[in-house]
Amino acid sequence: MGELRVLFEHRDVPGIERMDVYESVGGYQGLARAVTMSRADVIGEVKTSGLRGRGGAGFPTWIKWSGIPADQPTERYVVCNADEGEPGTFKDRELMLRLPHMVVEGLAIAGYATNSSTGYIYIRGEFLESARAVRRAIDEAYARGYLGESVCGSGHRFDLHVHMGAGSYECGEETALMSSLMGERGQPRAKPPHAPLPVISGLWQRPTLINNVETYATVPHILARGGAWYASMGTERSKGTKLFSVSGHVAKPGNYEIELGTPLEELIALAGGVVGGDLKAVIPGGSSVPILTAEQCRGVKLDYESCMAAGTMLGSGGFMAFNDRTDIVKLMHVTARFYAHESCGKCTPCREGTRWMYRIFQRITAGQGRPEDVDLLLSICNNIDGRSYCPLGDAASWPIRASIQRFREEYDYWIEHGRSPVGDDSVPGIG
Amino acid sequence: MASDLVNITINGTPLQVPAGEMIIESARRIGVEIPHFCYHPRLSKEAGANCRMCLVEVASPRKNPDGSVTLAKMPKPQTSCSLPAGEGMVIETETPAIIEARRGILEFLLINHPLDCPICDRGGECPLQNNTLHYGPPTTRYVEEKRHLPKAFPLSEHVVLDRERCIHCARCTRFAEDIAGDAQLGFLKRGADMEVSVRTGEQFTSLFSGNTIELCPVGALLSRSYRFRGRPWDLMTQKSICTECSNGCNIKLDHRAGRFVRVNARLNEDVNEEWTCDRGKFGMDYLSGPDRLTTPLVRRGNRFEAVGWDEAIRRVAEELGQAGRKSAFLGGIRSSNEDLFVMQRLFREVLGSSDLDHRVGPSFDAEPVIGVGQGQVARAPMSLVELEGLSLFISFGCDMAWEQPMAYLRVRKGWRRGALTIASVARHGTAEDERPSSLAPISAVRVRHDEGGELQVALRLLGEVLRQGGDGTAVPAELAAKAESAVTEQGADAEAVRRLALTLFEAGKGASDGRSVAVWIGEAARTNRQLPDILQTLSAALSAAGVHGVVQVPAMEVNEQGARDLGIAPTWLPGYEQADPAGRNSAEILAAVAQGDIAALWISGLDLATRYSDPAAAVRALESCPFLVVTDLSLTKTAQMADVVLPVTSVAERNGTYTNVEGRVQRFWKAYDPPAGVRQEWRIAAQIAARLGTEIHYASSREVLADIAARVPLYAGCGPDALGDGGVRWASALAGEVGR
Ligand SMILES: Cc1cc2nc3c(=O)[nH]c(=O)nc-3n(C[C@H](O)[C@H](O)[C@H](O)COP(=O)(O)O)c2cc1C
Ligand code: SF4
Ligand code: SF4
Ligand code: SF4
Ligand code: FES
Repeated sequence: MGELRVLFEHRDVPGIERMDVYESVGGYQGLARAVTMSRADVIGEVKTSGLRGRGGAGFPTWIKWSGIPADQPTERYVVCNADEGEPGTFKDRELMLRLPHMVVEGLAIAGYATNSSTGYIYIRGEFLESARAVRRAIDEAYARGYLGESVCGSGHRFDLHVHMGAGSYECGEETALMSSLMGERGQPRAKPPHAPLPVISGLWQRPTLINNVETYATVPHILARGGAWYASMGTERSKGTKLFSVSGHVAKPGNYEIELGTPLEELIALAGGVVGGDLKAVIPGGSSVPILTAEQCRGVKLDYESCMAAGTMLGSGGFMAFNDRTDIVKLMHVTARFYAHESCGKCTPCREGTRWMYRIFQRITAGQGRPEDVDLLLSICNNIDGRSYCPLGDAASWPIRASIQRFREEYDYWIEHGRSPVGDDSVPGIG
Repeated sequence: MASDLVNITINGTPLQVPAGEMIIESARRIGVEIPHFCYHPRLSKEAGANCRMCLVEVASPRKNPDGSVTLAKMPKPQTSCSLPAGEGMVIETETPAIIEARRGILEFLLINHPLDCPICDRGGECPLQNNTLHYGPPTTRYVEEKRHLPKAFPLSEHVVLDRERCIHCARCTRFAEDIAGDAQLGFLKRGADMEVSVRTGEQFTSLFSGNTIELCPVGALLSRSYRFRGRPWDLMTQKSICTECSNGCNIKLDHRAGRFVRVNARLNEDVNEEWTCDRGKFGMDYLSGPDRLTTPLVRRGNRFEAVGWDEAIRRVAEELGQAGRKSAFLGGIRSSNEDLFVMQRLFREVLGSSDLDHRVGPSFDAEPVIGVGQGQVARAPMSLVELEGLSLFISFGCDMAWEQPMAYLRVRKGWRRGALTIASVARHGTAEDERPSSLAPISAVRVRHDEGGELQVALRLLGEVLRQGGDGTAVPAELAAKAESAVTEQGADAEAVRRLALTLFEAGKGASDGRSVAVWIGEAARTNRQLPDILQTLSAALSAAGVHGVVQVPAMEVNEQGARDLGIAPTWLPGYEQADPAGRNSAEILAAVAQGDIAALWISGLDLATRYSDPAAAVRALESCPFLVVTDLSLTKTAQMADVVLPVTSVAERNGTYTNVEGRVQRFWKAYDPPAGVRQEWRIAAQIAARLGTEIHYASSREVLADIAARVPLYAGCGPDALGDGGVRWASALAGEVGR
């Protein structure tokens, strides 16, 4: 366990973002092998690897791939979710910037495996440099025949397009992303049991595969070195490695690739340890997942199951460590502001509830809290959770509910004293 | 597939429903009402399921690896408005968790709602009020500042938007996109800042904007004319028919203290579904207009004198009696069937005149409907529902959304389903090309021609059809020759007409029994003097292309179809029986008036002096008319020229029937008493007949209608007991169809 570089093996090689260097370290071998196999065998390899989606939900990748009706005469689409809007997460940005060919290669394999001839990379609008790198990689891949008319001479056609988002977190939700890609308002669409899955009816009502950047970037390695090799890493049910974006009060914030199942403390150590005080709390998987107290962090392993058992989630791998100068109420104020700002407005609980919670946090941190506010916040969380149209509403309620359950005394202090329990120089600041 | 039945259980009651039916609908079958805001069966589910009010608990059967089946409860409650029924589903709608969920949703909806119910038009008929009363929390826990936005923001001359009251259900935006097709409303911004809006600098000029007022589940979209004019509980409602066009929308006429207040749509699946257009929704104020006449007027020199009915009737009877055969009747397209039937009896039976005409366009001799086929039923106008199922609809000089609003919605609906192709033929610069509500943008073929070029287009079409292998055996040689020479001529529209011909052949292909093509002729083409030739050419093109279709000149005014059916025409009697001797048409009548050959003219419900195709000629003729009597609601320009003006009742003040564009005889009911001094037109006609010594005796409108049904075979199935609330199409009744 510990740091294990698969995706990042050559991240620091100068020029790795360019075709020649990428090929020289074994790039496009996965694609070359894939096109010699049957589609079913490619998906079989992904199945053997045990790869699960890296976008947050950890859904088995092969199930999605095999859900695409590859024999139907209709058009099919492959979409890469590069919207990366989850606070605390910045791994996809670096993957695209440093290793764009790995992403392109993964998408080309997915196109072959699902018999799709068109792919879209939906990139967060702020990621201009990453988008440029991807754009250049696509051009290079066309020039070498990895994209276009006949991928690696296989006769399979695959075209790849870049689409820039316009600045909405919700557009990372897969159905909202598709609305946005089709030129509509960035709002989610119905899913089962109300409507078919995107693999049956997605973009323009056609079968559509959508995965995260990191998910696609993992696939070339699986195809090049075999699913069994990939499955030999990680834990029983969380196979392989995962990128973590470590931020907060650590000495060396940045992206780290570790084997799934690595102890949480080890990741903090990799990032140089906690600075500016002792560890107070960790949000291990992006702002949408429940916060852990330092106490709760002890002995937790970073894999899907262990995180669940510890009362949080692995999520997107946006790992945030907080020292004891952190004011949890202010942290949640910032979080609540984010979700109120990003709520798309479609459904009642999220549209109204996120704004209401933000207002209450504003009041509490202005010293105007009332004793009943904490229970009110909990009640609002309950009224959003499970009743919103898409998971953004749930994600807005989980961190706040967890913070109240785990740091209630800090709320009570704010309400009683009208000031921070941590002192005037607490973090984060509230802009 | 959709007709497969599945077994589900709702609140312990097992029932069978069509697979895929939304659970909210299934629940209604057993009397379980699930509260909702955004759900509407006619609006798309894509942008729906957003209010989250209709949550229910769901368990579905799940197969275990060992083959056994267990009921698995879904972890989250589901919106019943978007949940399709599946085999074995078990639904609970009244569990503690659901009751709590509803309370939570209502609390969210109310935190930013201004709760200004006491000054809100919607108060008293507001789904938000009602649901809050039944399911809501008793008090609020919200102490923050509410959202503040401008009140009563004008979206158009008809509609204002109170953004503070909006609950973001997207009913209005979905209506604009799905039904009206103009997509003029959308959402701006996001989260709690999201707001309904028109595009910057635009107005809500849709011809169907009024429907959004009725769809809005709160008082956010409001009618400017109704705003602050009444509380729902003070209003009385009567079933009525819109008088503003021939489509005959079923409406609820709201009134108060003997005055008209507003129009709402009344459900009729065969006619207007639950819509109205803005012409009707906002056009009926005239019913209680300030210019209503309330007493008969008789000319004394240069001015009118108010007189009693006895004197007025005596005077008109005297003049008509003296004129005898030299009396004539024009108009009647806004009168009821009962009025028209008695009126034509007065003229034909009592006065011995056949000079009646309801048509005031330049092309008088055009057949109302040209069916590709023969006989009486071929004259039957097609049904509105039938429009949805066509494979090709050709709008020919017809600004459909304006002239035939409900037919427009039907055509659009068929197009949205994907099986209906639309073609549009119109003059350059037609209003249709500028309008937000229009068939033009969704037409597969668009032919645009110069002023007066209709016949040329029709000939070109026929020529193309013949060239492309159409069957010309039934086409008269002379017509075929003209068509051939039209094709050889150069013209900007040549390519478009060629494509139209191809589309016509295409539409003829897989079509089975029913009519697959319809050509609707609109006002622009109706005013072309060559209309008879245009009609003949178009129907020749249809039959040469081998399609089963109809070329139709749809009625435009509220009872124009009734005037056709009941023989307000010189050459046919009620039921299209041939008139013998034939009388003169409106052009001939006016010419005869000018020559002194007609001594008394009666004009009903028609401002001939402004509406006649040649207004100056009409005015000249009327000026020289020895005796002119006008029946109308107000003193129109024509009425001002009359010798006697007789004020008549409005649609709100009596019972009666109109026949709509599809030949559906529909009843309307008296909402309130007429002003004293106003009479029903047929009673006036009967009283005049009596004065002239002939009893045309009916006790009521109902008796008149019964007599029509007894005497006119066409209307045999449309007697007073057959009509019900939704009316009967005479063509369906003749064909023995039930229900429609
Ligand atoms: C509000 C919201 C935002 C999301 N943002 C992202 C994102 O930025 N990137 C991403 O890959 N997945 C995001 N997701 C998850 C996607 O909906 C989807 O599950 C994912 O793209 C599937 O890819 P995977 O199977 O490879 O994980 C988001 C989900 C929600 C509800
Ligand atoms: S939960 Fe509702 S309002 Fe929030 S982002 Fe999803 S759909 Fe939009
Ligand atoms: S204006 Fe009315 S109909 Fe439109 S979204 Fe708001 S509440 Fe719904
Ligand atoms: S379509 Fe015609 S009948 Fe219907 S509301 Fe409009 S004007 Fe009235
Ligand atoms: S009625 Fe079902 S969500 Fe609005």
